[in-house]
Amino acid sequence: MDRQGTIYTMIFSFIVTFAFVFLLSLTNQATVGMVKLNQETTRQGAILAAMGIAHAGPQEVLEKFKSIRTEQKGGVTLYTTTRNGETIYAAEFAGSGLWSTIRGVVGVNSDVTRILGLEIISQGETPGLGGRIDEQWFKDQFTDEKVVNGQIQVDMHNAGAPDTSHDNGQVDGITGATITSTSVGRIVNDELETLRSILGGKS
Amino acid sequence: MNAAPAIAPLTLLFASILTSNILLANFLGMCSFIAISKDMNSSNGLGMAVTVVLVLTAGVNWVVLHFILIPLGLEFLQYIVFIMIIAAVVQILEMVLDRVSQSLYMALGIFLPLITVNCAVLGVVLFMQIRNYTFIQSIVFGLGSGLGWWLAIMLLAAMRRKIDKAPVPAGLQGPGITMITIGMMAMAFIGFSGMLKVQ
Amino acid sequence: MSEAKSVTVLRENVWTSNPIFMQVLGICSALAVTNLLINTVIMTLGVTLVTGFSSLTVSLLKKLIPRKVRMIIQTLIIAFYVIIVDLVLRAYMPDVSKNLGPYVGLIITNCIIMGRAEAFAQSNGPFISFWDGITSGLGYMGVLLLVAVVRELLGFGTLLGYQIMPPTFLPWTIMVMAPSAFFILAIIIWIGKSIQMRQGKGATA
Repeated sequence: MDRQGTIYTMIFSFIVTFAFVFLLSLTNQATVGMVKLNQETTRQGAILAAMGIAHAGPQEVLEKFKSIRTEQKGGVTLYTTTRNGETIYAAEFAGSGLWSTIRGVVGVNSDVTRILGLEIISQGETPGLGGRIDEQWFKDQFTDEKVVNGQIQVDMHNAGAPDTSHDNGQVDGITGATITSTSVGRIVNDELETLRSILGGKS
Repeated sequence: MNAAPAIAPLTLLFASILTSNILLANFLGMCSFIAISKDMNSSNGLGMAVTVVLVLTAGVNWVVLHFILIPLGLEFLQYIVFIMIIAAVVQILEMVLDRVSQSLYMALGIFLPLITVNCAVLGVVLFMQIRNYTFIQSIVFGLGSGLGWWLAIMLLAAMRRKIDKAPVPAGLQGPGITMITIGMMAMAFIGFSGMLKVQ
Repeated sequence: MSEAKSVTVLRENVWTSNPIFMQVLGICSALAVTNLLINTVIMTLGVTLVTGFSSLTVSLLKKLIPRKVRMIIQTLIIAFYVIIVDLVLRAYMPDVSKNLGPYVGLIITNCIIMGRAEAFAQSNGPFISFWDGITSGLGYMGVLLLVAVVRELLGFGTLLGYQIMPPTFLPWTIMVMAPSAFFILAIIIWIGKSIQMRQGKGATA
């Protein structure tokens, strides 16, 4: 058969495409289970982290998450458990960043006067800039942070070095990523507002 | 990521041209950028061509992604499908250009088919997919990225005309000094970041 | 695979005709992730493997591929390996996959891979093509790792996540942002070219 002819070209292309797509489907099938598991462990891990519950590795995440209760209140899915005798809550949030939807989890105490922790589940902000909201130093600022006047302030003037005080209701933003940083602040505050109305905390 | 971000199309347009320029901030679209910025007319032509391709592929790929790939659970094939569609769009553009403007077609030469493998084009499509943009947002993002790339290549071409006459050290000539110029342009564009407010 | 030939290929791809500083090819997809060393390692490893296997496959199929669809089939082969890398990363290294994001897919448009397939694999045997692909990837990897080391060390004070710089070190924010990658690359190109010029290999821009 003429290797340069149209018919051969079509047959060859068809066979090669079919072969590759088939191999890819196999690979996809083989990995799809793990991918879903990863997504679930990430989500559960984030919820645990936002509540200040330490975990190491996906196995522990699945284990520890079993002790978390899920309840529905006011249209919001609340995750709750007790820590040191206190009831604590966590809820997932989602809001607009500069480029993408920022999803995460915020953990609070029962009257929403303190944030226990913040975790980011997914974001598509600028890598190296807004994307840094996913870095440990940024998230750690929210750990055990006091909520002042019902809000968290994102301070862009000192941006770059993490705000070490946990009682001033302030966190430092990311240099060069003003919009993303302030978006996180806005999203968190909106979520605090929602949680307050559900849990009946003081403003 | 289920919900599309609530970024206004106009904001998205300006953001993708200035503050998050596909080339100066996201590093995409460099190969042909460096080679063709030696000449201002070809740079202009290529910039236009890339913009047209971006708008078309953003639109077509969005439709294919949302009406074919996702409903059939074939997302894992998206890279192949996207690049094939890009290749097709470029091929069609080539044929149109050949008929409409022979001089531009000749001037662009090999760089026209190379738009297919221009990271910026595939990059914009992938960003659109990851950020879950709506159709309008995708088109605007494609347009903005194209215009941003066009702007960057024109600026670089203009600067290279001057640099080529300057006494650049031997080891730095060509790619070296071009990189530094691009770096400075990138820094300058960062200055735009305070300009936009979202909602 | 003759010894002499493979050493020549190695030397050429890693030094004399290093894809990045000699030909400034294929930097698009990887420069963006050079702010962290671990991302760069995985990314360049991915590119190296894809280049190697793509060249291998193209070389194996070269007598069967019709001329008209040569570029398309090559693109298909490259896309195939990239998807495999992406799926494997998503399943077994989800954090890295998240960090790399769309840049893994962009390996498809990496000029180096298509370049090697066209320039080498189309006219050489499978094993040497594989080797050519791998060594091109290594040349590419070397330069980018260098950029990443500088960027992560000065931008975050860490390397591979481990704190290297003392706590009093104030990170250079510029290193975290785009322009630094261009500047560092320019310096590497400058040094590489100058050394080569001095060695008389006479490469001009």
